[in-house]
Amino acid sequence: MSALTLHTVERDSFFTWLDFRSKLALMGAITLVAFVWESPVLGGLLALALALMCLAVGVKFSYIRTVVILLLPFAAFMILMQGFLGADLVRARLDREALTPMFTFPASWPLIGGGMMTWEGVLYALNVVFKTLTMILVLPLGLFTTDVNAMVIGMVKAHIPYKIAFIFSSTLRFFPLLFEEVQTIIEAQRLRGLAFETMGALKRLRVYAKIAVPLILGALVKSQMLDIVLQSKAFTGSPQRTYLHETRLCAADYAVMVGAVLFIITAAVAYFGWGVGKFAGLRIW
Amino acid sequence: MTTDRSVPLVTLDTVSYIYPRAEKPALHDITLDIGRGEFLGLIGPTGAGKTTLCLSLSGIVPQFYGGRFFGRITVAGLDTLEHPVSRLARHVGAVFEDPETQITATSVENEIAFALENLNVPREEMLVRIPRALEAARLEGTAKKHPRELSGGQKQRLAIAAALAVQPDLLVLDEPTSQLDPMGAQEVFATVRELNKTLGITVVMASHAAEELAEYADRLALLVDGALVAVGAPDDLYAQVDYLERCHVRPPQVAQTFARMRQAGVLVPAIPVRLAEGRTALKATAHSYAVQAPSIPPVTTVKRDPPLLSARNLTHVYGNGTVALRDISLDVQAGEYLLIIGQNGAGKSTLAKHFLRLLLPTSGAVFVDNTDTRDLTTSALAKRIGYVAQNPDSQIFNATVEAEVAFALKNLNYDAADIRTRVEESLTALGLWERRAAHPLALPKGDRARVVIAAMLAMRPDVVIFDEPTTGQDYRGARAILDISQQLHTAGKTVVVITHHLYLMPDYAERVVVMGQGALLLDAPIREAYHAVDVLAATHIVPPQAVLLARALAEEYHADFPLLTPEEVAACFEKDVYHGDTEDTEIF
Repeated sequence: MSALTLHTVERDSFFTWLDFRSKLALMGAITLVAFVWESPVLGGLLALALALMCLAVGVKFSYIRTVVILLLPFAAFMILMQGFLGADLVRARLDREALTPMFTFPASWPLIGGGMMTWEGVLYALNVVFKTLTMILVLPLGLFTTDVNAMVIGMVKAHIPYKIAFIFSSTLRFFPLLFEEVQTIIEAQRLRGLAFETMGALKRLRVYAKIAVPLILGALVKSQMLDIVLQSKAFTGSPQRTYLHETRLCAADYAVMVGAVLFIITAAVAYFGWGVGKFAGLRIW
Repeated sequence: MTTDRSVPLVTLDTVSYIYPRAEKPALHDITLDIGRGEFLGLIGPTGAGKTTLCLSLSGIVPQFYGGRFFGRITVAGLDTLEHPVSRLARHVGAVFEDPETQITATSVENEIAFALENLNVPREEMLVRIPRALEAARLEGTAKKHPRELSGGQKQRLAIAAALAVQPDLLVLDEPTSQLDPMGAQEVFATVRELNKTLGITVVMASHAAEELAEYADRLALLVDGALVAVGAPDDLYAQVDYLERCHVRPPQVAQTFARMRQAGVLVPAIPVRLAEGRTALKATAHSYAVQAPSIPPVTTVKRDPPLLSARNLTHVYGNGTVALRDISLDVQAGEYLLIIGQNGAGKSTLAKHFLRLLLPTSGAVFVDNTDTRDLTTSALAKRIGYVAQNPDSQIFNATVEAEVAFALKNLNYDAADIRTRVEESLTALGLWERRAAHPLALPKGDRARVVIAAMLAMRPDVVIFDEPTTGQDYRGARAILDISQQLHTAGKTVVVITHHLYLMPDYAERVVVMGQGALLLDAPIREAYHAVDVLAATHIVPPQAVLLARALAEEYHADFPLLTPEEVAACFEKDVYHGDTEDTEIF
């Protein structure tokens, strides 16, 4: 199965014992701060800290590595775009006209001749990449360390409507099934002579694109079956229901939530007070 | 709970139903009462309407599907049209065919609790009901486990436990054992019967498992083309062997055996439908006739060096640490018809996948025509080895039947003319040429399986591996697929079949490999393997009833009766040598 399928961590940790509400608070705080910060240094440190936290709570290194590898083409694209073409945006962020050239293509080169890559553009691109990485890594931190059922209860207790909580949890359950389906279809195609193992990336992408139709058809059949199963179990989506498991916030949960709020406040004060985290605050060029 | 069977719990009054956009009714004019505490078996060929009838009892038909519904169904006094499915769910528990798709929770106790939570059952009450349901389904000690840690049989029993926790009046099970090995199926039947007997829960079960239904059901309802054509006790209905076979329904092998004996002129007082009665009746009949063990020609296997397929000291350990294969050494000669059997999880599919390099050995080696599969690619192996997996739907990914069959040929770079020829040949051979423009998923399940076989045959492989090809098929569909395998074998192909349906295989297989817990337990000619009851028991497999009857004869006569089929058992009786008293017998 692909390393990117959703799963639960194999060992318990401080984080697995937390209530999903406190995890939501922490995930929200990290996401908000990552979204606001434009400094690639702080953004990178936050992403690194988050990756270390993920490893500490039991998320597999292979998963994080896969996420990073999948982000590499996006990172390269962002660096090229912002480095060469993002000058206007970067100038507006810095509120100054002059940018620091990293290198310039000779003017005689066709199409790209005279193009200049700037340090500021590259750094801004890195900020976007680290933001994205943080927002992706925050998901396994919360989702892989929580049982789906506990997520639903936590969300309902956090006054999220039960229907939304159920749809969210069903989507999480459905994800691994979709990945399995993709693997099954590709296996079936390999058994019909498709030389998947020797294909280049582009050809592989074309194969994946063609899988969409059978995948959607298969998903429809499965979701219809799931619908029948749920109905036969008296499921209506009504919030008027009981729960087998109870969930209570403990001291650690309160500590995490208070910590999350303090993190947001500190980040906001530092950002607006001293420019910490602002792109313009960087003084490395 | 009241178990007065004279009081109907379920009434169907002239029920007809047509699915949206369907031309023919799925149910046609069905009138039937099901008494409280009754165990009703629903039998009939694929497409007879069994699943639709099961769904209609919980209101899912027509409330979920729509369509046109006529007549009236009441369950525990509730009209299934007037009450929502969620209300009916208090009275009707449902268990479906596929154990994987009906389990939605991440722990056993959560799975059982889900319906209770939906029904607003207080937490304290849930904490009482869950252990009870687990105990009733014999799943004690599994409450905290993830459902994926359970075996197939356990998963189905979990589905039963989840339905049971609601304390329904009626438990509806639609083909609950079709994907299970014999032991898993036995567990499910025994559990359901226990619940029916001790708790008085009314049971409706659709199943092709004739031997088990004969053993456990109080009454059978036979559906054909959506119509209820017969209702009766298993002793009455299963004894009508010719009639059932005309309806494409397989009777228990015990009944088939005695029907064949009667056809051969042997005086048979009554057709038994259960094994114990069959054994007694067989011994009684044997006393009145000369019984001759047939002469079985010895099996000769031509060994070729090197073998076409070979596994040498093959061990495979999955990523999660499960040892799926343990030191397997096996040779398959060109032109053989090999049957691989064993419990769920015995390693049968894992072994087959090694020949296609879908898996690589953890240790040991696998060779195809003397080449190590590590040196080959799956796509290269696929030219030589066709693999038909259990679920045809997961192997269909083109918009037309024709495109599906042509897919492999395009990958293998055949020219357009050759592709056209091969597609036509393959589709014609499988009787699908007329359906070439249809979407494969729009075809019935049996036809979908044939599309996959056609696609694989178009590559003209030397070896064909069928992995559980008969699962979910009725008797006619299963025989149709196996007949194709026989044609391939006759044409010189090497055929490997993996199945739990042992009763289907004597007409096809020559050699049997028995696997258990990843090990090779026995590799023998089919007659020897089917009679190695201790080895089969070690991997939770029960031989077909005809084999067990033959063993009863062997015990009686202290001779070797290596028989496999009802026809062979019946042929042992010499009708012209009768020693009994004709006045004591009555021919029905």
